[in-house]
Amino acid sequence: MKYMIMMFGGLGGAIEDRSPEWITGMHELLMKLDTELKESGECVASDALVDPSQARTVRFAGGAPVSTDGPFAEVKESLAGYWIVDVDEERALQIASQVVGYTEYPMEVRRIMDHSAQP
Amino acid sequence: MTGPQGPRAVTGQHRIEDLLREFAPQVLAALIRRYGQFDTCEDAVQEALLAAALQWPAQGVPDRPRSWLLTVAGRALVDAWRADSARRRRETAAAVDPTDHPPAAARAVHHWAVHVSADLAGADPDDTLALLYLCCHPTLSPPSQLALTLRAVGGLTTAQIAAAFLVPEATIAKRIVRAKQRIRDTGARFELPGESARSERLGVVLQVLYLMFNEGYSTSSGPALQRPDLIAEAIRLTRLLLHRLLPDEVEVAGLLALMLLTNARRAARTDTDGRIVPLADQQRDLWDSAAIAEGQAILIRTLGTGPVGPYQLQAAIAALHDEAPTAQTTDWPQILALYDVLATVAPGPVVTLSRAVALAQVHGPTAALALLGTLDTDQRIAHTHRLEAVRAHLLEQAGDTTAAHQSYLRAAKMTASLPEQRYLELRAARLHPA
Repeated sequence: MKYMIMMFGGLGGAIEDRSPEWITGMHELLMKLDTELKESGECVASDALVDPSQARTVRFAGGAPVSTDGPFAEVKESLAGYWIVDVDEERALQIASQVVGYTEYPMEVRRIMDHSAQP
Repeated sequence: MTGPQGPRAVTGQHRIEDLLREFAPQVLAALIRRYGQFDTCEDAVQEALLAAALQWPAQGVPDRPRSWLLTVAGRALVDAWRADSARRRRETAAAVDPTDHPPAAARAVHHWAVHVSADLAGADPDDTLALLYLCCHPTLSPPSQLALTLRAVGGLTTAQIAAAFLVPEATIAKRIVRAKQRIRDTGARFELPGESARSERLGVVLQVLYLMFNEGYSTSSGPALQRPDLIAEAIRLTRLLLHRLLPDEVEVAGLLALMLLTNARRAARTDTDGRIVPLADQQRDLWDSAAIAEGQAILIRTLGTGPVGPYQLQAAIAALHDEAPTAQTTDWPQILALYDVLATVAPGPVVTLSRAVALAQVHGPTAALALLGTLDTDQRIAHTHRLEAVRAHLLEQAGDTTAAHQSYLRAAKMTASLPEQRYLELRAARLHPA
Protein backbone atom coordinates (compact mmCIF):
# COMPACT_ATOMS: atom_id res chain seq x y z
CA MET A 1 0.00 0.00 0.00
CA LYS A 2 1.17 3.49 -0.70
CA TYR A 3 0.78 6.40 1.67
CA MET A 4 1.41 10.09 1.23
CA ILE A 5 2.92 11.73 4.31
CA MET A 6 2.37 15.46 4.13
CA MET A 7 4.05 18.38 5.89
CA PHE A 8 2.36 21.73 6.05
CA GLY A 9 3.17 25.35 6.68
CA GLY A 10 5.66 27.84 5.33
CA LEU A 11 9.00 28.61 6.88
CA GLY A 12 7.71 31.59 8.78
CA GLY A 13 5.76 30.00 11.60
CA ALA A 14 7.97 26.93 11.84
CA ILE A 15 11.41 28.48 12.22
CA GLU A 16 11.18 32.18 12.97
CA ASP A 17 11.65 31.82 16.72
CA ARG A 18 13.95 28.81 16.74
CA SER A 19 17.63 28.65 17.64
CA PRO A 20 20.28 27.78 15.05
CA GLU A 21 20.79 24.48 16.91
CA TRP A 22 17.10 23.59 16.62
CA ILE A 23 17.10 24.39 12.89
CA THR A 24 20.28 22.41 12.29
CA GLY A 25 18.69 19.51 14.18
CA MET A 26 15.58 19.67 12.01
CA HIS A 27 17.61 19.77 8.77
CA GLU A 28 19.62 16.77 9.96
CA LEU A 29 16.50 14.82 10.95
CA LEU A 30 14.81 15.40 7.60
CA MET A 31 17.92 14.55 5.56
CA LYS A 32 18.64 11.44 7.62
CA LEU A 33 15.07 10.21 7.36
CA ASP A 34 14.99 10.89 3.63
CA THR A 35 18.22 8.93 3.11
CA GLU A 36 16.98 6.04 5.27
CA LEU A 37 13.66 5.79 3.43
CA LYS A 38 15.40 5.84 0.05
CA GLU A 39 18.01 3.26 1.09
CA SER A 40 15.39 0.92 2.56
CA GLY A 41 13.37 1.16 -0.65
CA GLU A 42 10.28 2.33 1.22
CA CYS A 43 10.30 5.77 -0.39
CA VAL A 44 8.59 5.97 -3.78
CA ALA A 45 8.92 9.73 -4.14
CA SER A 46 9.64 12.73 -1.97
CA ASP A 47 10.02 16.42 -2.52
CA ALA A 48 9.86 19.75 -0.84
CA LEU A 49 7.83 22.59 -2.33
CA VAL A 50 8.93 26.22 -2.45
CA ASP A 51 7.51 28.46 0.25
CA PRO A 52 3.72 28.99 -0.04
CA SER A 53 4.36 32.73 -0.42
CA GLN A 54 5.69 31.87 -3.89
CA ALA A 55 2.50 30.03 -4.88
CA ARG A 56 -0.08 31.29 -7.33
CA THR A 57 -3.70 30.26 -7.21
CA VAL A 58 -6.00 30.01 -10.20
CA ARG A 59 -9.62 30.77 -9.35
CA PHE A 60 -12.77 30.96 -11.41
CA ALA A 61 -13.81 34.59 -11.09
CA GLY A 62 -16.10 36.70 -13.23
CA GLY A 63 -16.70 33.81 -15.60
CA ALA A 64 -13.05 33.05 -16.34
CA PRO A 65 -9.97 31.51 -14.69
CA VAL A 66 -7.89 34.22 -13.04
CA SER A 67 -4.53 33.68 -11.34
CA THR A 68 -3.52 35.57 -8.22
CA ASP A 69 -0.45 35.54 -5.96
CA GLY A 70 -0.56 33.40 -2.85
CA PRO A 71 -1.51 29.88 -1.81
CA PHE A 72 -5.00 28.35 -1.91
CA ALA A 73 -5.13 27.53 1.81
CA GLU A 74 -3.88 29.51 4.81
CA VAL A 75 -0.07 29.48 4.81
CA LYS A 76 0.03 27.21 7.86
CA GLU A 77 -2.28 24.73 6.09
CA SER A 78 -0.49 24.86 2.77
CA LEU A 79 1.45 21.80 1.59
CA ALA A 80 5.20 22.23 2.19
CA GLY A 81 6.56 18.82 1.27
CA TYR A 82 5.71 15.15 1.05
CA TRP A 83 6.95 11.59 1.08
CA ILE A 84 5.19 8.84 -0.84
CA VAL A 85 6.08 5.57 0.90
CA ASP A 86 5.23 2.00 0.00
CA VAL A 87 4.56 0.58 3.50
CA ASP A 88 1.67 -0.47 5.73
CA GLU A 89 -0.28 2.09 7.67
CA GLU A 90 1.42 1.40 10.96
CA ARG A 91 4.85 2.10 9.47
CA ALA A 92 3.59 5.25 7.72
CA LEU A 93 2.33 6.59 11.04
CA GLN A 94 5.62 5.68 12.68
CA ILE A 95 7.58 7.64 10.04
CA ALA A 96 5.39 10.70 10.50
CA SER A 97 5.75 10.42 14.29
CA GLN A 98 9.54 10.70 14.02
CA VAL A 99 9.17 14.15 12.47
CA VAL A 100 6.25 15.34 14.59
CA GLY A 101 8.15 14.27 17.73
CA TYR A 102 10.78 16.86 16.84
CA THR A 103 8.87 19.70 15.16
CA GLU A 104 5.70 19.40 17.33
CA TYR A 105 3.87 20.39 14.13
CA PRO A 106 1.09 18.13 12.72
CA MET A 107 1.49 15.92 9.62
CA GLU A 108 -1.13 14.13 7.58
CA VAL A 109 -0.92 10.49 6.49
CA ARG A 110 -3.27 9.42 3.74
CA ARG A 111 -3.48 6.30 1.62
CA ILE A 112 -3.07 6.67 -2.13
CA MET A 113 -5.88 5.06 -4.10
CA ASP A 114 -5.26 1.92 -6.15
CA HIS A 115 -5.47 2.01 -9.90
CA SER A 116 -6.50 -1.64 -10.12
CA ALA A 117 -10.06 -2.80 -9.37
CA GLN A 118 -10.51 -4.26 -5.89
CA PRO A 119 -11.22 -8.02 -5.93
CA MET B 1 44.56 -1.27 -0.19
CA THR B 2 40.97 -2.28 -0.45
CA GLY B 3 39.71 -5.48 -2.05
CA PRO B 4 40.76 -6.31 -5.59
CA GLN B 5 37.28 -5.90 -7.08
CA GLY B 6 36.03 -2.61 -5.68
CA PRO B 7 38.33 0.15 -6.91
CA ARG B 8 39.19 -1.58 -10.17
CA ALA B 9 35.52 -2.09 -11.03
CA VAL B 10 34.88 1.60 -10.42
CA THR B 11 37.87 2.61 -12.52
CA GLY B 12 36.70 0.25 -15.28
CA GLN B 13 33.27 1.84 -15.25
CA HIS B 14 34.81 5.30 -15.51
CA ARG B 15 37.06 4.17 -18.32
CA ILE B 16 34.07 2.89 -20.29
CA GLU B 17 32.19 6.16 -19.79
CA ASP B 18 35.25 8.14 -20.87
CA LEU B 19 35.65 5.98 -23.97
CA LEU B 20 32.00 6.36 -24.91
CA ARG B 21 32.14 10.12 -24.49
CA GLU B 22 35.25 10.34 -26.60
CA PHE B 23 33.94 8.13 -29.39
CA ALA B 24 30.29 9.22 -29.51
CA PRO B 25 30.85 12.41 -31.55
CA GLN B 26 33.44 10.68 -33.77
CA VAL B 27 31.12 7.82 -34.64
CA LEU B 28 28.20 10.19 -35.15
CA ALA B 29 30.26 12.42 -37.43
CA ALA B 30 31.43 9.42 -39.49
CA LEU B 31 27.83 8.25 -39.96
CA ILE B 32 26.56 11.71 -40.93
CA ARG B 33 29.45 12.24 -43.33
CA ARG B 34 28.53 8.98 -45.05
CA TYR B 35 24.75 9.06 -44.94
CA GLY B 36 23.60 12.61 -44.10
CA GLN B 37 20.47 12.66 -41.93
CA PHE B 38 21.67 13.99 -38.60
CA ASP B 39 18.49 12.88 -36.78
CA THR B 40 18.46 9.23 -37.88
CA CYS B 41 22.22 8.88 -37.39
CA GLU B 42 22.00 10.34 -33.89
CA ASP B 43 19.33 7.78 -32.95
CA ALA B 44 21.54 5.00 -34.27
CA VAL B 45 24.55 6.20 -32.24
CA GLN B 46 22.38 6.32 -29.12
CA GLU B 47 21.44 2.69 -29.66
CA ALA B 48 25.09 1.74 -30.03
CA LEU B 49 26.04 3.65 -26.86
CA LEU B 50 23.27 1.93 -24.97
CA ALA B 51 24.38 -1.48 -26.20
CA ALA B 52 27.97 -0.69 -25.18
CA ALA B 53 26.90 0.52 -21.74
CA LEU B 54 25.04 -2.76 -21.24
CA GLN B 55 27.59 -5.17 -22.71
CA TRP B 56 31.05 -3.76 -22.06
CA PRO B 57 31.02 -3.78 -18.24
CA ALA B 58 30.11 -7.51 -18.26
CA GLN B 59 31.95 -8.76 -21.34
CA GLY B 60 34.89 -6.38 -21.32
CA VAL B 61 35.76 -3.57 -23.72
CA PRO B 62 36.22 -4.90 -27.28
CA ASP B 63 39.69 -4.74 -28.85
CA ARG B 64 38.63 -2.04 -31.27
CA PRO B 65 35.87 -0.19 -29.41
CA ARG B 66 35.40 2.51 -32.03
CA SER B 67 34.92 0.01 -34.82
CA TRP B 68 32.52 -1.94 -32.58
CA LEU B 69 30.41 1.20 -31.99
CA LEU B 70 30.46 2.12 -35.67
CA THR B 71 29.32 -1.36 -36.72
CA VAL B 72 26.50 -1.49 -34.16
CA ALA B 73 25.39 2.06 -35.00
CA GLY B 74 25.54 1.25 -38.72
CA ARG B 75 23.34 -1.82 -38.19
CA ALA B 76 20.87 0.24 -36.17
CA LEU B 77 20.76 2.72 -39.03
CA VAL B 78 19.98 -0.02 -41.54
CA ASP B 79 17.31 -1.42 -39.21
CA ALA B 80 15.74 2.02 -38.96
CA TRP B 81 15.67 2.40 -42.74
CA ARG B 82 14.30 -1.09 -43.16
CA ALA B 83 11.50 -0.43 -40.65
CA ASP B 84 10.84 2.86 -42.39
CA SER B 85 10.60 1.37 -45.89
CA ALA B 86 8.50 -1.53 -44.59
CA ARG B 87 6.11 0.99 -43.14
CA ARG B 88 6.03 2.92 -46.38
CA ARG B 89 5.31 -0.31 -48.26
CA ARG B 90 2.44 -1.12 -45.95
CA GLU B 91 1.11 2.39 -46.22
CA THR B 92 1.13 2.47 -50.01
CA ALA B 93 0.27 -1.24 -50.29
CA ALA B 94 2.51 -1.18 -53.35
CA ALA B 95 4.88 -3.79 -54.70
CA VAL B 96 8.41 -4.06 -53.41
CA ASP B 97 10.48 -0.99 -54.16
CA PRO B 98 13.15 -2.11 -56.65
CA THR B 99 15.73 0.16 -55.05
CA ASP B 100 15.18 -1.39 -51.63
CA HIS B 101 17.52 -4.30 -50.92
CA PRO B 102 17.86 -4.49 -47.14
CA PRO B 103 20.31 -7.41 -46.87
CA ALA B 104 22.64 -5.80 -49.36
CA ALA B 105 22.39 -2.52 -47.50
CA ALA B 106 23.24 -4.24 -44.23
CA ARG B 107 26.30 -5.89 -45.76
CA ALA B 108 27.41 -2.58 -47.23
CA VAL B 109 27.13 -0.82 -43.89
CA HIS B 110 29.14 -3.46 -42.11
CA HIS B 111 31.80 -3.41 -44.80
CA TRP B 112 32.01 0.34 -44.62
CA ALA B 113 32.11 0.40 -40.80
CA VAL B 114 35.11 -1.92 -40.70
CA HIS B 115 36.94 0.18 -43.25
CA VAL B 116 36.15 3.61 -41.99
CA SER B 117 36.89 2.82 -38.36
CA ALA B 118 40.51 2.22 -39.30
CA ASP B 119 40.69 5.74 -40.73
CA LEU B 120 39.19 7.21 -37.59
CA ALA B 121 42.33 6.59 -35.55
CA GLY B 122 43.30 10.22 -35.96
CA ALA B 123 39.72 11.45 -35.70
CA ASP B 124 39.22 14.92 -37.06
CA PRO B 125 38.58 17.30 -34.15
CA ASP B 126 36.73 19.54 -36.63
CA ASP B 127 33.99 16.90 -36.60
CA THR B 128 33.37 17.53 -32.92
CA LEU B 129 33.32 21.25 -33.52
CA ALA B 130 30.93 20.86 -36.48
CA LEU B 131 28.65 18.77 -34.27
CA LEU B 132 28.84 21.32 -31.48
CA TYR B 133 27.83 24.08 -33.91
CA LEU B 134 25.00 21.96 -35.28
CA CYS B 135 23.64 21.25 -31.78
CA CYS B 136 23.90 24.95 -30.92
CA HIS B 137 21.88 25.90 -33.99
CA PRO B 138 20.41 29.37 -33.41
CA THR B 139 16.84 28.27 -34.19
CA LEU B 140 16.80 25.99 -31.11
CA SER B 141 15.88 27.15 -27.61
CA PRO B 142 18.73 27.18 -25.06
CA PRO B 143 17.38 24.12 -23.16
CA SER B 144 17.18 22.19 -26.44
CA GLN B 145 20.68 23.26 -27.47
CA LEU B 146 21.98 22.09 -24.11
CA ALA B 147 20.19 18.73 -24.13
CA LEU B 148 21.22 17.98 -27.70
CA THR B 149 24.85 19.00 -27.08
CA LEU B 150 25.06 16.77 -24.01
CA ARG B 151 23.72 13.82 -25.97
CA ALA B 152 25.28 14.16 -29.42
CA VAL B 153 28.62 15.72 -28.44
CA GLY B 154 28.91 14.68 -24.80
CA GLY B 155 27.73 11.11 -25.30
CA LEU B 156 25.42 11.27 -22.26
CA THR B 157 22.30 9.11 -22.35
CA THR B 158 18.83 10.63 -22.21
CA ALA B 159 18.46 9.14 -18.71
CA GLN B 160 21.67 10.81 -17.51
CA ILE B 161 20.61 14.17 -18.92
CA ALA B 162 17.16 13.79 -17.35
CA ALA B 163 18.73 12.98 -13.98
CA ALA B 164 21.01 16.00 -14.23
CA PHE B 165 18.11 18.37 -14.83
CA LEU B 166 15.65 16.57 -12.54
CA VAL B 167 13.02 16.20 -15.22
CA PRO B 168 11.36 13.02 -16.48
CA GLU B 169 13.27 11.11 -19.13
CA ALA B 170 10.33 11.45 -21.54
CA THR B 171 10.61 15.24 -21.37
CA ILE B 172 14.26 15.21 -22.42
CA ALA B 173 13.56 12.57 -25.09
CA LYS B 174 10.81 14.72 -26.61
CA ARG B 175 12.95 17.84 -26.39
CA ILE B 176 15.72 16.09 -28.32
CA VAL B 177 13.34 14.70 -30.95
CA ARG B 178 11.89 18.17 -31.54
CA ALA B 179 15.34 19.74 -31.70
CA LYS B 180 16.48 17.21 -34.29
CA GLN B 181 13.34 17.73 -36.38
CA ARG B 182 13.94 21.44 -36.33
CA ILE B 183 17.54 21.00 -37.47
CA ARG B 184 16.32 18.79 -40.30
CA ASP B 185 13.66 21.33 -41.27
CA THR B 186 16.18 24.17 -41.44
CA GLY B 187 18.25 22.09 -43.84
CA ALA B 188 21.37 22.77 -41.77
CA ARG B 189 24.36 20.89 -43.12
CA PHE B 190 26.97 18.95 -41.23
CA GLU B 191 29.93 21.19 -41.79
CA LEU B 192 31.82 23.91 -40.05
CA PRO B 193 30.00 27.18 -40.66
CA GLY B 194 31.92 29.82 -42.61
CA GLU B 195 34.20 32.26 -40.83
CA SER B 196 31.61 34.99 -40.21
CA ALA B 197 28.78 32.62 -39.25
CA ARG B 198 31.21 30.79 -37.00
CA SER B 199 32.22 33.83 -34.96
CA GLU B 200 28.57 34.89 -34.88
CA ARG B 201 27.58 31.53 -33.44
CA LEU B 202 30.58 31.09 -31.18
CA GLY B 203 28.70 33.22 -28.65
CA VAL B 204 25.87 30.69 -28.53
CA VAL B 205 28.29 27.77 -28.29
CA LEU B 206 30.13 29.38 -25.37
CA GLN B 207 26.81 30.21 -23.73
CA VAL B 208 25.69 26.57 -23.96
CA LEU B 209 28.99 25.41 -22.46
CA TYR B 210 28.74 27.99 -19.67
CA LEU B 211 25.13 26.99 -19.01
CA MET B 212 26.23 23.35 -18.78
CA PHE B 213 28.93 24.31 -16.29
CA ASN B 214 26.64 26.48 -14.19
CA GLU B 215 23.91 23.88 -14.11
CA GLY B 216 26.52 21.46 -12.78
CA TYR B 217 28.13 23.88 -10.35
CA SER B 218 24.98 25.37 -8.90
CA THR B 219 21.91 23.37 -9.84
CA SER B 220 18.83 25.52 -10.01
CA SER B 221 16.63 23.17 -7.99
CA GLY B 222 16.62 19.95 -6.04
CA PRO B 223 18.41 18.39 -3.07
CA ALA B 224 21.97 18.18 -4.43
CA LEU B 225 24.06 21.30 -4.84
CA GLN B 226 26.35 20.06 -7.60
CA ARG B 227 26.38 17.72 -10.58
CA PRO B 228 30.04 16.82 -11.19
CA ASP B 229 29.12 15.03 -14.43
CA LEU B 230 27.95 18.22 -16.09
CA ILE B 231 30.95 20.18 -14.79
CA ALA B 232 33.40 17.63 -16.17
CA GLU B 233 31.67 17.56 -19.54
CA ALA B 234 31.58 21.35 -19.84
CA ILE B 235 35.29 21.61 -19.01
CA ARG B 236 36.19 18.76 -21.35
CA LEU B 237 34.35 20.32 -24.32
CA THR B 238 35.68 23.83 -23.66
CA ARG B 239 39.20 22.48 -23.37
CA LEU B 240 38.74 20.63 -26.66
CA LEU B 241 37.39 23.75 -28.32
CA LEU B 242 40.37 25.79 -27.15
CA HIS B 243 43.32 23.44 -27.40
CA ARG B 244 42.48 21.59 -30.55
CA LEU B 245 40.37 24.00 -32.54
CA LEU B 246 40.39 27.65 -31.51
CA PRO B 247 43.64 28.35 -29.62
CA ASP B 248 43.54 32.07 -30.50
CA GLU B 249 40.00 32.88 -29.37
CA VAL B 250 40.51 34.84 -26.14
CA GLU B 251 36.97 34.33 -24.90
CA VAL B 252 37.22 30.55 -25.29
CA ALA B 253 40.40 30.74 -23.21
CA GLY B 254 38.60 33.04 -20.78
CA LEU B 255 35.71 30.62 -20.39
CA LEU B 256 38.00 27.65 -19.77
CA ALA B 257 40.00 29.65 -17.20
CA LEU B 258 36.76 30.77 -15.53
CA MET B 259 35.51 27.18 -15.26
CA LEU B 260 38.83 25.89 -13.89
CA LEU B 261 39.27 28.73 -11.40
CA THR B 262 35.69 28.43 -10.14
CA ASN B 263 35.59 24.65 -10.02
CA ALA B 264 38.90 24.64 -8.11
CA ARG B 265 36.92 25.70 -5.02
CA ARG B 266 34.30 22.99 -5.34
CA ALA B 267 35.51 20.69 -2.55
CA ALA B 268 35.42 23.56 -0.05
CA ARG B 269 32.02 24.84 -1.11
CA THR B 270 30.05 22.40 1.03
CA ASP B 271 30.80 20.84 4.41
CA THR B 272 30.61 17.13 5.18
CA ASP B 273 26.84 17.38 5.71
CA GLY B 274 26.32 19.00 2.32
CA ARG B 275 25.74 22.46 3.74
CA ILE B 276 26.87 25.54 1.79
CA VAL B 277 30.07 27.22 3.01
CA PRO B 278 30.41 30.84 1.81
CA LEU B 279 33.66 31.90 0.13
CA ALA B 280 34.92 33.84 3.15
CA ASP B 281 34.58 30.79 5.44
CA GLN B 282 36.00 28.18 3.06
CA GLN B 283 38.97 26.03 4.04
CA ARG B 284 41.38 27.24 1.39
CA ASP B 285 43.73 24.26 1.61
CA LEU B 286 40.90 22.21 0.08
CA TRP B 287 41.11 24.25 -3.11
CA ASP B 288 42.57 22.44 -6.12
CA SER B 289 45.93 24.14 -6.65
CA ALA B 290 46.62 22.36 -9.97
CA ALA B 291 43.36 23.65 -11.45
CA ILE B 292 44.13 27.15 -10.14
CA ALA B 293 47.61 27.05 -11.69
CA GLU B 294 46.19 25.92 -15.04
CA GLY B 295 43.54 28.65 -15.01
CA GLN B 296 46.11 31.31 -14.11
CA ALA B 297 48.48 30.13 -16.85
CA ILE B 298 45.72 30.36 -19.47
CA LEU B 299 44.85 33.88 -18.32
CA ILE B 300 48.46 35.06 -18.33
CA ARG B 301 48.99 33.61 -21.79
CA THR B 302 45.91 35.22 -23.33
CA LEU B 303 45.30 38.50 -21.47
CA GLY B 304 45.87 41.41 -23.82
CA THR B 305 46.08 39.28 -26.98
CA GLY B 306 42.56 40.28 -28.04
CA PRO B 307 39.62 42.43 -27.05
CA VAL B 308 38.70 41.84 -23.41
CA GLY B 309 35.42 39.96 -22.96
CA PRO B 310 33.09 39.02 -20.11
CA TYR B 311 34.43 35.47 -19.64
CA GLN B 312 38.00 36.71 -19.40
CA LEU B 313 37.03 39.39 -16.89
CA GLN B 314 35.11 36.95 -14.72
CA ALA B 315 38.06 34.55 -14.87
CA ALA B 316 40.41 37.34 -13.74
CA ILE B 317 38.08 38.03 -10.79
CA ALA B 318 37.97 34.32 -9.90
CA ALA B 319 41.78 34.24 -10.08
CA LEU B 320 42.07 37.10 -7.59
CA HIS B 321 39.89 35.18 -5.12
CA ASP B 322 41.90 31.99 -5.68
CA GLU B 323 45.23 33.77 -5.15
CA ALA B 324 44.35 35.16 -1.73
CA PRO B 325 45.78 32.96 1.06
CA THR B 326 42.99 34.18 3.40
CA ALA B 327 39.65 35.92 2.88
CA GLN B 328 41.05 39.00 4.64
CA THR B 329 43.93 39.38 2.18
CA THR B 330 41.65 39.33 -0.90
CA ASP B 331 42.51 42.18 -3.29
CA TRP B 332 39.04 43.75 -3.26
CA PRO B 333 40.03 47.08 -4.88
CA GLN B 334 41.35 45.16 -7.90
CA ILE B 335 38.21 42.99 -7.98
CA LEU B 336 36.01 46.09 -7.85
CA ALA B 337 38.00 47.62 -10.73
CA LEU B 338 37.40 44.49 -12.82
CA TYR B 339 33.66 44.57 -12.03
CA ASP B 340 33.61 48.21 -13.16
CA VAL B 341 35.00 47.09 -16.54
CA LEU B 342 32.60 44.13 -16.66
CA ALA B 343 29.67 46.47 -15.99
CA THR B 344 30.69 48.41 -19.11
CA VAL B 345 31.45 45.42 -21.36
CA ALA B 346 28.48 43.25 -20.33
CA PRO B 347 26.08 45.19 -18.12
CA GLY B 348 23.30 43.29 -16.39
CA PRO B 349 21.61 42.83 -13.01
CA VAL B 350 23.79 39.86 -12.00
CA VAL B 351 26.95 41.90 -12.63
CA THR B 352 25.50 44.78 -10.56
CA LEU B 353 24.78 42.33 -7.76
CA SER B 354 28.35 41.01 -7.71
CA ARG B 355 29.74 44.51 -8.05
CA ALA B 356 27.76 45.52 -4.94
CA VAL B 357 29.50 42.78 -2.94
CA ALA B 358 32.92 44.09 -4.01
CA LEU B 359 31.82 47.66 -3.38
CA ALA B 360 30.88 46.76 0.19
CA GLN B 361 34.37 45.40 0.81
CA VAL B 362 36.05 48.53 -0.53
CA HIS B 363 33.69 51.37 0.38
CA GLY B 364 31.45 49.80 3.03
CA PRO B 365 27.95 48.27 3.12
CA THR B 366 26.03 51.57 2.92
CA ALA B 367 27.35 52.38 -0.56
CA ALA B 368 26.64 48.80 -1.62
CA LEU B 369 23.07 48.88 -0.29
CA ALA B 370 22.45 52.05 -2.29
CA LEU B 371 23.65 50.27 -5.44
CA LEU B 372 21.34 47.30 -4.69
CA GLY B 373 18.45 49.75 -4.43
CA THR B 374 18.80 50.38 -8.16
CA LEU B 375 17.89 46.73 -8.78
CA ASP B 376 14.55 46.86 -6.93
CA THR B 377 12.79 48.04 -10.06
CA ASP B 378 14.66 45.68 -12.40
CA GLN B 379 12.12 43.00 -13.27
CA ARG B 380 14.88 40.57 -14.27
CA ILE B 381 16.12 40.23 -10.69
CA ALA B 382 13.80 42.09 -8.31
CA HIS B 383 11.88 38.96 -7.36
CA THR B 384 14.77 36.52 -7.01
CA HIS B 385 16.30 35.23 -3.81
CA ARG B 386 19.77 36.28 -4.99
CA LEU B 387 19.07 39.99 -4.62
CA GLU B 388 17.47 39.46 -1.21
CA ALA B 389 20.31 37.19 0.00
CA VAL B 390 22.97 39.76 -0.93
CA ARG B 391 20.91 42.48 0.76
CA ALA B 392 20.72 40.34 3.91
CA HIS B 393 24.51 39.90 3.98
CA LEU B 394 25.06 43.65 3.47
CA LEU B 395 22.57 44.55 6.21
CA GLU B 396 24.37 42.13 8.52
CA GLN B 397 27.71 43.78 7.65
CA ALA B 398 26.14 47.18 8.35
CA GLY B 399 25.12 45.94 11.82
CA ASP B 400 21.37 46.21 11.19
CA THR B 401 20.56 42.83 12.77
CA THR B 402 16.78 43.13 12.74
CA ALA B 403 16.55 44.08 9.07
CA ALA B 404 19.16 41.44 8.14
CA HIS B 405 17.19 38.75 9.99
CA GLN B 406 14.00 39.64 8.10
CA SER B 407 15.89 39.84 4.83
CA TYR B 408 17.46 36.37 5.27
CA LEU B 409 14.01 34.93 6.01
CA ARG B 410 12.55 36.59 2.90
CA ALA B 411 15.39 35.19 0.79
CA ALA B 412 14.84 31.70 2.30
CA LYS B 413 11.20 31.86 1.27
CA MET B 414 12.10 32.89 -2.27
CA THR B 415 14.67 30.25 -3.21
CA ALA B 416 13.87 26.99 -5.00
CA SER B 417 17.17 25.37 -3.94
CA LEU B 418 16.96 23.27 -0.79
CA PRO B 419 20.63 23.65 0.28
CA GLU B 420 20.41 27.41 -0.24
CA GLN B 421 17.18 27.57 1.72
CA ARG B 422 18.79 25.72 4.62
CA TYR B 423 21.83 27.99 4.53
CA LEU B 424 19.64 31.11 4.58
CA GLU B 425 17.45 29.75 7.41
CA LEU B 426 20.56 29.20 9.49
CA ARG B 427 21.94 32.67 8.78
CA ALA B 428 18.59 34.10 9.85
CA ALA B 429 18.50 32.05 13.06
CA ARG B 430 22.02 33.18 14.00
CA LEU B 431 20.82 36.76 14.06
CA HIS B 432 17.64 36.12 15.96
CA PRO B 433 17.51 38.25 19.09
CA ALA B 434 16.78 35.27 21.36
